[in-house]
This record gives sequence, structure tokens and C-alpha cells, in this order.
Amino acid sequence: MIEAGRVCVKTAGRDAGLMCVIVENIDDVYVKIDGQTRRRKCNVAHLEVTDKMLSLKKGSHDEVKSLFESELNIELKDKKPKEQKERPRKQRKSVMKKIEAEETKKKSPKEKAKVKPKEKIEIKAEPKVKQKVKVESKVEEEPKAESKSPEAEEKKSL
Amino acid sequence: MVRGMFKSRTFRRVFVKTPGAETKIHYRKRKPSKAKCGGCGVELKGVPRERPYKMQNIPKTAKRPERPFGGVLCSKCMRKEIVVRSRSE
Repeated sequence: MIEAGRVCVKTAGRDAGLMCVIVENIDDVYVKIDGQTRRRKCNVAHLEVTDKMLSLKKGSHDEVKSLFESELNIELKDKKPKEQKERPRKQRKSVMKKIEAEETKKKSPKEKAKVKPKEKIEIKAEPKVKQKVKVESKVEEEPKAESKSPEAEEKKSL
Repeated sequence: MVRGMFKSRTFRRVFVKTPGAETKIHYRKRKPSKAKCGGCGVELKGVPRERPYKMQNIPKTAKRPERPFGGVLCSKCMRKEIVVRSRSE
């Protein structure tokens, strides 16, 4: 009864109630099964044998899959292989600081090379004196306005 | 004296040892009855016995065995059921 190609129903565990095929006899107690269940070793006592047989040659999973579809009309769904993602790992603050410092070092010379000459040209074209004057005038005006306003208010109040 | 509601046995009594080496009685609500197999009536294993508000916070996989009819039938009755179904097909 128990031989390669015999269709069985698994009666124990989380795969219970699912159809499978015996792929290989391991010893008196265990067999290797495949099908709707996971491809795995299984105790013979956990199988309910049916009268159906599949003509297995190699016993590979692809063969089992094709035979299940053609003879038993059961489609086997393969699990999608998981994409391996890198774990997000915490890094120590000291390490992070080093990395940041390296990045800034890498960036800084390029930025200097790119940005500085343009700015210099623009600044040189316009005389610097105007900017200074503007700043001075602002500084002069602001305190006057402040000084005037409280005095005026005090006078009004009096 | 305890409150009147605690005199009846609707609450279960838990003896608690206090830091002052006294034993005091705490009153807590009783747990629901144990889950039983729908076929033979044996108490099911792997099914926690908690009040509904605690069962809410337990993950689904921790509340019943991961097999067909898990949490409803015991493993023996489940096997019988599956054998019967497979033979009838």
C-alpha cells in the first residue's frame, strides 16, 4: 500500500485534510511526501491512504505539480520566495557622527569649487560699499524710531 | 466587614500576602468555563481560559492550535472527521 506514487490525505498537524503523494520511502515508519502539503518527512501513521496512484518518475516538485493538475485537477500554489531585505539596524551615535563627518568632507570641496567663483564675480561687479551703507543706515534709523516713540508716548500721557 | 456583594460566591477569592506579612482576601471575577471538544467533550488543550477583554489582546495563533478544527475539536476527533471525509470522496 505504502509506496512511491500513492496519493494520501494527511490527518495530523496543520496540513491535515490536504492531499499529498508519497515521493520516497525513507524507512518502515517515515516517508517523504509532497503535494498540497509542504514537501517533508512524514510518519506513516499520520497518512490516510487512498486508492489513487500517480506515475512518478523523478519525484521532483515540478513533476508532482504537473501530475496533480493533470490527474487530480488540483492546482498547487507555490509560495512566493521572499525578497531579502536588509534589516534596519541601529547604529551608535559615535559611528553616525563619523559617517556624517565623512560625508560633509566629501561634499564640502565640491561645493566650494562650484559655488564660490560665481558668487565672487557677482559681488565684485557690485561695489561692496553700498551694502555697508545700507546696513549702517538701518542701524541708525531703528534706535531713533524706538527712542522717539517712547518719549512721544510719555509726553502724550503727561 | 466586606461589602455585601462580596459575601456571595459570585466572585472568586484570591489570598494575597501583603508586605506586612498579612494574608488578605482579594475578590476577582471568575474565569469562563474551559473549552471542550465538540465531538467527545474532552477539555481542549492550547486554548487559553480568560475573560473576553483579555482574549482580545492575545494573538489569534495563541488562542487555538494551528490545524483544521483547531479550538473546536480535539486532535483525535479531528483525525476521525478527516478520515471519514477522505473515504466518502
